[in-house]
Amino acid sequence: MPDPVVIELESVEAVVGAAAHLRATGYSVLEAYTPFPIPALDDAIGTRRSKLPWLVLAAGVSGASLAYVVLWWTSAVDYRLDVGGRPYNSLPADVPIVFETTVLFAAGTAFLAALILSGLPRLHHPVFELEGFERTTIDRFWITIGPPSGRGALLEEELVVLREELAPFGPVVVRDGRRAS
Amino acid sequence: MSAVLTDEGSYAELTDELLGKVLSPPRWIRPALLGTFLGTIVLLVAITYTVLTGVGVWGNNIPVVWAFGLTNFVWWIGIGHAGTFISAFLLLLEQKWRTSINRFAEGMTLFAVIQAGLFPLLHLGRPWFFYWLAPYPSTMKVWPQFRSALTWDVVAVSTYFTVSLLFWYLGLVPDLAAMRDRASERWRRRIYAVFALGWYGSTRNWNRWRIAYGLLGGLATPLVVSVHSIVSSDFAIGNLPGWHSPLFPPYFVAGAIYSGFAMVLTLMIPARRLYRLQGVITTQHLDSMAKMLLVTGWIVTYSYVIELWTAWYSGDKYEMYTYLVMRPFGPYAWCWWTVIVCNCVSPQLLWSRRIRRSPVALWLLSLVIQLGMWMERFVLIVTSQSRDFLPSSWRLYRPTLVDGALLFGTVSFFLFLFLLFLRFVPFIPISELKALKHELAEEERDA
Repeated sequence: MPDPVVIELESVEAVVGAAAHLRATGYSVLEAYTPFPIPALDDAIGTRRSKLPWLVLAAGVSGASLAYVVLWWTSAVDYRLDVGGRPYNSLPADVPIVFETTVLFAAGTAFLAALILSGLPRLHHPVFELEGFERTTIDRFWITIGPPSGRGALLEEELVVLREELAPFGPVVVRDGRRAS
Repeated sequence: MSAVLTDEGSYAELTDELLGKVLSPPRWIRPALLGTFLGTIVLLVAITYTVLTGVGVWGNNIPVVWAFGLTNFVWWIGIGHAGTFISAFLLLLEQKWRTSINRFAEGMTLFAVIQAGLFPLLHLGRPWFFYWLAPYPSTMKVWPQFRSALTWDVVAVSTYFTVSLLFWYLGLVPDLAAMRDRASERWRRRIYAVFALGWYGSTRNWNRWRIAYGLLGGLATPLVVSVHSIVSSDFAIGNLPGWHSPLFPPYFVAGAIYSGFAMVLTLMIPARRLYRLQGVITTQHLDSMAKMLLVTGWIVTYSYVIELWTAWYSGDKYEMYTYLVMRPFGPYAWCWWTVIVCNCVSPQLLWSRRIRRSPVALWLLSLVIQLGMWMERFVLIVTSQSRDFLPSSWRLYRPTLVDGALLFGTVSFFLFLFLLFLRFVPFIPISELKALKHELAEEERDA
């Protein structure tokens, strides 16, 4: 188990508030786990901006270029085909295929990048070993934190302090991840 | 609670209720699967017979070279469009009523596009050479003719299918993870675990997921418009009277969404009742979809009027004959009048709020509209070909038993795939619905 302390909360407000509080008090908030997307958490956790949109843009441009080169080379260079006396390289007729290929490449990349950039697909993740973690996909909100920088683990007294600090955020379970697993 | 989500339970109750539909399936699903599977066998037999004997077993002739095959293709592809419209277009417009029906509609798209793809493939005559449509360096040294709308079709339909599949699957991953975490048997957990790809719901997971989902929505939205526009080019680029019209792309797209919304209703109303989904698919949903039918129905009606007017205004005797004589009064007049009654007259009932909110009335109306939209394509395709410029080449078309079997078979196969989807996949988006629930609760608190 990589993250020493595991915090289990019961609502969106609690997880956002607790994450912001922990970060402000100097804990390194490693990650939060939630049953549905909570955009407000990105800031509270400090998730870095994803480069996914740029990858999608690059893929779209490559798709468009590839399609155009294939169309141009096959019908205007390699095997010139006269269709009703129109120019060999007729741009208007290329529009549909170039457009569709752009979308195909961009969409394929969006899908793959979303998975790969978040470390999927994977057969296992250490958090799955936490007791009760399966409720994350149902209705529980989790935060995992590390100790203040330069320390190996949190002391038992510190856990007590944490519990008190987080009490305003509703029902909360704070435990040592290594012992709980 | 808001009108688009009347379920009052906690997140856990909502999740369990929706997962329960899949984990403990209703009893009727087995006989339903069996029935549609038997229909699918009819399709297999018809396909085998067609492939072994040749396309001559269809009613197609010269000059009516495209008949049921193309009609079915356009009809099925059109049906798919509403699914993408709901899942992508309405996502970008942040329509809340989209959430609980989007996966349903997206599944419908996938299965409809599969049916659509069968017809051009079979119409090739030698479907095992389908790969000639792709540009690959062959010993024949020639390439596909890319200035033909038919090659555009290949790219458009295959892209459409792929993008719909990715969009659908990406949305599904978090819910498959919920299935994995809730299923009681070990083997079932294992299977769902594989398909959930190891999803663990971290902030980073969700952040990437949200961005990609939005981008896929943005990418799928122009597909709603482009795919049927390209399909309509199959006609518009030809010069037959009744086909050669720049009106076709918007007119086809509106028609596609029209028939697709009708299909969503046809599938959703019984499922809503049988699975007791009234809490997540509310009367508000029915009402919104009925309004979409009314709007697209009017766009289609307007297109019919413009078509007739353009034919008259063109002064071209062939156009005038096709539109003003052949279609309304010729040998296929009864089909044309069916179109008018089904597509233009019947949806006017939707001005009534009572009908918009009545599941039974809407369901019947959705069937009427689908019949009308199928007939519309039939009239468009068959009348123009059977009587073109030269009366000496005129010939009528009559479908054969095999034509009928293929249409019936694809309907069965479509329903079979759809029932499998209901049986094994969380068909109401659970995580999205929980997010919506949170959003609605927040709005209520702020209000």
